[in-house]
Amino acid sequence: MKYFGWVDEVGQNFLFLSTLMKSWWRSNDLRQPILEQTWKITISSLSTTLFAGFFVGAILTVQFTLQMREFGALGYLGGLSTSGIVREVGPLLIAFLLSGKVGAYTSAELGTMRVTEQIDAIRCLGADPLKEVVLPRFVGIVFSSFFLLTFGLIVSVFGGAFMGYIFSGVNFEEYIRFIPSIVTLPSVINGLFKCLAFSLVLATVCTYKGYTASGGARGVGQAVVQTAVQTMLLIVFFDWLTSFLMQSFINQWMNA
Amino acid sequence: MLDYLNVVKSFGTRTILHGLSFSVSKGSICFILGTSGTGKSVLLKNTVGLMKPDSGQILLEGKDIVPLSEDELGEVRRKCGMVFQQPALLDSLSVFDNVAFGLRRLTKMNETQIRDRVIEALTAVNMEKILTRRPSEISYGMQKRVSLARTLALEPQVLLFDEPTTGLDPQTTRAVNDLIYSLSRKYNTSSLVVSHDMACALAIADQIVVLDKGSIVDMGTPKEIRQSQVPLVRDFMREVQA
Repeated sequence: MKYFGWVDEVGQNFLFLSTLMKSWWRSNDLRQPILEQTWKITISSLSTTLFAGFFVGAILTVQFTLQMREFGALGYLGGLSTSGIVREVGPLLIAFLLSGKVGAYTSAELGTMRVTEQIDAIRCLGADPLKEVVLPRFVGIVFSSFFLLTFGLIVSVFGGAFMGYIFSGVNFEEYIRFIPSIVTLPSVINGLFKCLAFSLVLATVCTYKGYTASGGARGVGQAVVQTAVQTMLLIVFFDWLTSFLMQSFINQWMNA
Repeated sequence: MLDYLNVVKSFGTRTILHGLSFSVSKGSICFILGTSGTGKSVLLKNTVGLMKPDSGQILLEGKDIVPLSEDELGEVRRKCGMVFQQPALLDSLSVFDNVAFGLRRLTKMNETQIRDRVIEALTAVNMEKILTRRPSEISYGMQKRVSLARTLALEPQVLLFDEPTTGLDPQTTRAVNDLIYSLSRKYNTSSLVVSHDMACALAIADQIVVLDKGSIVDMGTPKEIRQSQVPLVRDFMREVQA
């Protein structure tokens, strides 16, 4: 039953997502609260993403340098590390970071609103809490996370180039020379598609866990922990799924 | 005004309300007393449609609210205002916007009318000087009074109070009890008050319902309750006499 519990939990997330979408469909104008949330989340996580993105690129460049120096192929350093960053490591690590920051914050905020009866009060005052509270946060997280992940990827390329210069002795022009030939359009689409998938996973899990929290402060704590664990597991799963689907799709597209 | 007919509510295998039946007449004050976990708050949440009973009927002015959809419950919530156990103010809004929240959604008032009504409601609870403050900047007692003002602003016909004086100082407790009494007598508002406070119930209630483990063990006017021989009621009475 423990294993089926997981399936049930994923199903509940999807059902919640569908309820949210229906609620969005019935909403008149949510542009202002969505913009406010997007701005708030983006600004609060920008410096963290900048820091993480820079070092993701730097770390990968150091690792590639150690291997490629053996083969005298440092000229390909920029192309290969950027490919690795854009296709895989960048979205994954930055999404993990955002799940800890944005996911935990949103889950705790909504959970507290639930256990302090703010959600019930909103219903009693004639408003739909999904529309008033959850939807702006959900859409805000999707928009801002997608932007932050993409921004993190761009910064990570510069982090890689910087580390390539000071650690590997590869100057900027040499670093970026093979990027266009190795980092192809399908690679970029693959990376961006992952960013979108991870943003949706993050937004769905944290709003669902927060909104359904119960049992006082302990319940909020549990919701935050479950958000962190489930988001990371689902991000890893969707990383595999998107890689698999995109690879199959891109292969078919290239062969056609 | 408000009639409960054989209301049953369970959570999983645990039955919380065992077929409750009683009525609250227009303009009267009904206190629901009982120890913690006897389903008092659950009863209030069923009354405004935050929960649905498993069976039974809850009639508001003769109309059963149980089968109503979330959209249809809007009218019920316009008539029945609920004051929660916790202040339940929205952290992101100022005191003014918290009180105006329901008016903007449930009424067709313009901003000037809303402003007048908000100030009127806050004045009733002596909180008219803190319009721009956030809930986190005022004390718990003040938050509870603002929460009361938020419900009063909608001028509901029925007021549901979930332990309105818990956590308040004696002076504010007296002020809240006086307010419940004056609303009933001046505006003919019906009040259903969930409480542990037998002394207050005896002082201002028209009717007292005593719950134990989800069932009504005694019900009557304060005079009848004073003479009750039910052990739980005697326990409550001993506390008043002590």
